[in-house]
Amino acid sequence: MIAGQTASGRCAGRWPATPRLRCTQTGCGLGLAAIAVIILWRLFAALASLDLPHRLIRLGLGAALLFAVVAQFNAISGLAAGSALRAALGAGKLLETRDRRDHYIVLGVSLFLMLAATLDRQGLPRLLLYGAHLWLCCAALAVIGTPVVRLPARAAFGLAGRSLGYALPIMLLLFLFFPRVQGQIWSLPAGGAAVTGLGDEMSPGSISQLSESDEPAFRVTFDGDRPPSTALYWRGPVLHQFDGYTWRRELGRVYRSAELTYLGPAYRYRVTLEPHRQRWWFALDLPVAPARPGVFFTFDYQLVSADPVTQAVSYEMTSHIDYRSDDAASLLARRIDLQLPANRNRRTLDWARRERARLGSDAAFVQAVMDLFRDGGFTYSLTPPLLDLDSVDDFLFRTRTGFCGHYASAFATLMRAVGIPARVVTGYHGGEWNPIGQYLIVRQSDAHAWAEIWVDGRGWTRYDPTSVVAPDRLQRAALDRIAALAGGVDPLIAELDAWSRLVLSWDALNTWWKVRVLEFDLGSQFELLRDLGFQRPGLQQLGWLLAAGLALWLALVGLRFGRTPRPPRGDRLARSYRGLCRRLAAAGLPRATHEGPLAYAERVRRERPELAAVVVPLLQRYAQARFGPAGDHDDGRAFERAVRALRLPA
Amino acid sequence: MSERRARLPDLPARRRLGLRERIAARTERWSRRRQGAERWPSAITRRRLYILPTRAGLGFAVLLLGMLLAGLNYANSVALLVAFVLGGFMLVAMNLSHRNLLGLVLESLTLPPAFAGDSARLSLRLRNPSNLPRHAVRARVGGHEATLDTLPPGESGVVGLDLAAPRRGRHPVPRISLSTEYPFGLFRAWTWVHVTETLLVYPAAHGDRPPPLTASDHDSGTQGLAGGNDEWAGLRPFRDGDSPRQVAWKAYARGAPLLVKEYTGRSARTLRFDYETLTGLDREQRLEQLARWIVDAEASGARYGLTLGTLRFPEQRGAAHRHRCLEALALHV
Repeated sequence: MIAGQTASGRCAGRWPATPRLRCTQTGCGLGLAAIAVIILWRLFAALASLDLPHRLIRLGLGAALLFAVVAQFNAISGLAAGSALRAALGAGKLLETRDRRDHYIVLGVSLFLMLAATLDRQGLPRLLLYGAHLWLCCAALAVIGTPVVRLPARAAFGLAGRSLGYALPIMLLLFLFFPRVQGQIWSLPAGGAAVTGLGDEMSPGSISQLSESDEPAFRVTFDGDRPPSTALYWRGPVLHQFDGYTWRRELGRVYRSAELTYLGPAYRYRVTLEPHRQRWWFALDLPVAPARPGVFFTFDYQLVSADPVTQAVSYEMTSHIDYRSDDAASLLARRIDLQLPANRNRRTLDWARRERARLGSDAAFVQAVMDLFRDGGFTYSLTPPLLDLDSVDDFLFRTRTGFCGHYASAFATLMRAVGIPARVVTGYHGGEWNPIGQYLIVRQSDAHAWAEIWVDGRGWTRYDPTSVVAPDRLQRAALDRIAALAGGVDPLIAELDAWSRLVLSWDALNTWWKVRVLEFDLGSQFELLRDLGFQRPGLQQLGWLLAAGLALWLALVGLRFGRTPRPPRGDRLARSYRGLCRRLAAAGLPRATHEGPLAYAERVRRERPELAAVVVPLLQRYAQARFGPAGDHDDGRAFERAVRALRLPA
Repeated sequence: MSERRARLPDLPARRRLGLRERIAARTERWSRRRQGAERWPSAITRRRLYILPTRAGLGFAVLLLGMLLAGLNYANSVALLVAFVLGGFMLVAMNLSHRNLLGLVLESLTLPPAFAGDSARLSLRLRNPSNLPRHAVRARVGGHEATLDTLPPGESGVVGLDLAAPRRGRHPVPRISLSTEYPFGLFRAWTWVHVTETLLVYPAAHGDRPPPLTASDHDSGTQGLAGGNDEWAGLRPFRDGDSPRQVAWKAYARGAPLLVKEYTGRSARTLRFDYETLTGLDREQRLEQLARWIVDAEASGARYGLTLGTLRFPEQRGAAHRHRCLEALALHV
């Protein structure tokens, strides 16, 4: 079972992150409960025709709600506070809805709140909710739109549903061809910056419990070959500065990155990144510099975007898992990546220097350190003991228990102590293969940290000490088995149990939704135009397609609705009679509106005696069938046959 | 077209109009020129069916615009989807409102005369010749409105409107608007109905002078039996113009044909009302008094004649006679 494999034993968990500062849980809960109570009460009052509360009570309630919002958010603007305010006041408005205008206001507030919700969440489950909400709003519009007709709820929902159904093609058309805007025209103040995923610093000693989170961090589809699972290091922020306790990014100084020679195959893939409100993008170690505006490739091979990722973003990358550099490390690189606080972790420094002197070479020292981690009694744990300020000393000589951050930190410190430039790289490792959607899900629980050291003649070289402490976790990934795949039905799917299949299908659907719908932008529109055969796609072509589609829809809807409605079909007898009259009209003798069948027959006899012989009996027969005694009624079939058999003399 | 236009009554002249009224007057002139006078029956065609968003529809559109801008600004596909589907919904709503009136047949208009100070009842008969029901069709004329809830397929319905009738005379009927906001109240589709029918308003039946006691007998040589109230004379077949009060309803209920009870009496009255005899009153009061007498005389079954300047109506009875006399009063100058 693949889904379960990620859950345990990883150097996992998200780095400590400030909780989403939406609002405190209890405050929001109370507010929502109050609003729900008001809505339910109003429903009850409508059903039981109670009087609405007195004006003073309403005023008091409104003031209380306003106060509650201000107390909760310390603001009345911004998306969260503004929405809360509107929700509260909308609920308050419910208590004084009497006439049509009030109803329209409540409806408007409700649609506005939905807009706010769409700005907040765009997932597929929410889509169902939004659809239901729209349906409800439109049905409400049908009920309050024409107050004279007491439309029953069923009819209102039917009407609204059908109308929305007719509107769906328009929605699709506009969605595909309505030109999008690139970049933001204005932005809302982000109420309470929320941080999930990797932070930009790491203090392993301060964490005693890593939370396991199955939230996806990003998804990857490979174009062509897939790398082996042991090589799935997803590079994120690189940390250079160490104060003995906390690793931080290098913010001020930049050194020249070494010239790289890529070895081995290039892997091409597309990453779809969940919004994490940070500026970094993740790529397979080691990415080729992307040619894409708005994202920078830093000196330590990170991808940093110009704006924080607040919405799902998707990008194509190329990486090589093997590379070398014949450069020498720059002086600045040496200075930055050898920096260590002199008065911290003294035991570690002393031990490292003694060991280096004893072994005689850097290579032997690195190997000895890796051996130490493998055989020195180190254990892997997601719940390590807290460390004191000399965190590496405490870890190496006392607790010997930790997760990836501890090992990477200790390794880099040991290297720096003996003059080998070292840095800590954070990111993710591995991922779960979704055989249904044919893509890799990397979750927050796959978060990882490793070290890179400078080796002359090779360049920056990755060492992952965690892999020797807990070697099994690197070899379990399902991706290994993918290499053995040779087309056809993915045997991995066959191995899945029903539940995993459901879970993975759902994730695949969500991914499709994210990539194809949520990220549909001007570029996608141009791509679509190219697929449709336009050589040089542009706004003009979009406009033409939009106009053409709109015209087509209007024509179809016009055919359906705009046509002068048909007369009622009537019964068989009436239809046949109308047919007879039409034929007589074609013969030059139309029936006058006021004429009954017998009067008409009389006129036929008078004006067109040559027709009378065949027509008059038919007209009499109709009169007999329609108005005669009950016994003579036929169901019209015989009359219909007679009319059809009628041959008018030319 | 020009012939139809010529038959239209003139619009009443108005002065000191505000902007709204000026616009209304302009559109009224425009629609009159465009549509001409109504011919009965006629169907509501596309050419004469207008549609505009209501206030709620405009608000809805503004909301949609906000959603669109927010969606575009934040590159938020879901907000855009919502804005787009609601935009399509508005287009559908427009079509539905339009269709709710399209093809309705204006069958006839009846507008019986009224007395000044009362209200006149205008009845507009609509037929739905189509196979779908029509809802919430609202007729409006001069500030009065009435709504036809539902008109099922193939059926007819009547919208009754009460028109104010403040002054005697023959008044043009202002244009009637026939509108609907069904089904969502976002759009209002309407058509104008310009009618050549006029509203005849009799003078109010007022006055407390007693009717002239003696019958004037200038023209009444043939009088033998009249519907006085004195002595039972017998039954005779109903003739047009007989007062319903004298119909033998009980006999009719038993299955007999319509019969009229006749009485003989010394005071089987024949009355003549003369405008000139009403001294001491101004013109309107005289007309009102004459109207009072005519109404009373008709109700009592008496025969009566009217002298109004050079007009002379011989002594008769019946609804048609009453109408002729009252009409003369209404139009008297």
